[in-house]
Amino acid sequence: MAVNQDNVKIHVSHLKKNFDKLEVLKDVSVDIHEGEVVVIIGPSGSGKSTFLRCLNRLEDITGGEVVVDGVNIAGHGADINKVRENIGMVFQHFNLFNNMNVMRNLTLAPVDLKKATKAEAEQNALRLLERVGLRDKVSAYPSELSGGQKQRVAIARALAMNPDIMLFDEPTSALDPEMVGEVLEVMKELANEGMTMVIVTHEMGFAREVADRVLFMDGGYIVEEGTPADVFGCPQNARTRDFLNKVL
Amino acid sequence: MARIISVYGELLLRAMGQTLLLALSGLFFACILGLIFGLMSVVKNRACNTVAAIFVDAIRGVPMIVLAYFIYFGVPYLFNTIVGIGGVTLTALQAGTICLALNCGAYMAEIIRAGIESVDKGQMEAARSLGMPYWRAMQRVVLPQAIRTMIPSIINQFIITIKDTSILSVIGFPELVNTAKNVVAITYMSFQTWAIVAVMYLIVITTLSRVAKEMERRLKRGR
Repeated sequence: MAVNQDNVKIHVSHLKKNFDKLEVLKDVSVDIHEGEVVVIIGPSGSGKSTFLRCLNRLEDITGGEVVVDGVNIAGHGADINKVRENIGMVFQHFNLFNNMNVMRNLTLAPVDLKKATKAEAEQNALRLLERVGLRDKVSAYPSELSGGQKQRVAIARALAMNPDIMLFDEPTSALDPEMVGEVLEVMKELANEGMTMVIVTHEMGFAREVADRVLFMDGGYIVEEGTPADVFGCPQNARTRDFLNKVL
Repeated sequence: MARIISVYGELLLRAMGQTLLLALSGLFFACILGLIFGLMSVVKNRACNTVAAIFVDAIRGVPMIVLAYFIYFGVPYLFNTIVGIGGVTLTALQAGTICLALNCGAYMAEIIRAGIESVDKGQMEAARSLGMPYWRAMQRVVLPQAIRTMIPSIINQFIITIKDTSILSVIGFPELVNTAKNVVAITYMSFQTWAIVAVMYLIVITTLSRVAKEMERRLKRGR
């Protein structure tokens, strides 16, 4: 799918994030364009999840700018809830609402935030469940689903708000190996449909296949970035080479 | 025993009614206080956290009998004599209710805090990531899950509070213990009277814990 280079969906400049005295993100700048699939790789503790969580301000931003669709969310002036309605997020541990069945998981936010009537939201939910292949689980509770099913429901839940950006925080890391494929398949389809996606993952094969751009993070910086062919094929930075040698 | 029941049975039953009235009004306000201070201790706000912590520590650190004397005698004295605003009086029911509400409220606040903290923080994050405001997410996602883990402790606290009403006999509220003291003073039949009183408490509290068990069972089944 074509990346629209003229339309910057997320503009990050000189982003810093400290946890008390610990500097997790030191100076991160990057632009993410409409329709682009950006995959972030790097060793654990490199700040990649923190970076992702700054993009919808699940982590308070210490310094710098994060501009989403023209709104700088780094300051506390922005209506963060409004911005989040347009950014879906998928978590490592799914975080489905345990006290609600699948249908309620998908319709809670759209109905509560008056994005849709109950009937519209339910219709949309069924369509999304169809798409992730789980229509028959509509009245199941999260505890009755497998990990792969939970994550597919979580993706559908995020899509139910009709976002134009999707963030994925290690979406397959908590899954049994045989369930990784079904989740990546759904993500691949989403990418092909032109969704703007930022994905933190350890699935290098997936990154190589689906990413428009790969960012390699280490020590709170983006150390290297480029097309998958560049980053995986001939990494320029010694730390990137070292990391890829270990994981590939 | 039969004489106590036939002559004073009705009086004791009415006293039990007073006990339950006091317990219910105390519990009602305790729930409100508990919810307020419980939520204040989980929000991301240093000032709120501190106020809630001081409230809980202060109440837990003072025996209820001292609290009862303080509120019933001390507070009116403060206004009438020290501050100089005359005419401030509290009935025993008002003072007793305040006392139970503060005491039970502090423990309820702790139960509610622990219940909310027992819910995985990913639940809140997921709701927030969809654009839901904090209090909405709390109300729709976190609290319903927290309440399930709180129920046994809350019911336990209710039972303790019903028994604690007996302490309020010291400020002259005509609840069961106070009334029984009077019956003993008239009849000298302390074994019979206190045995009847004990059985009365036992029946009320056992019934309540049965109801509680049933509620807990249904909540578990209904997820």
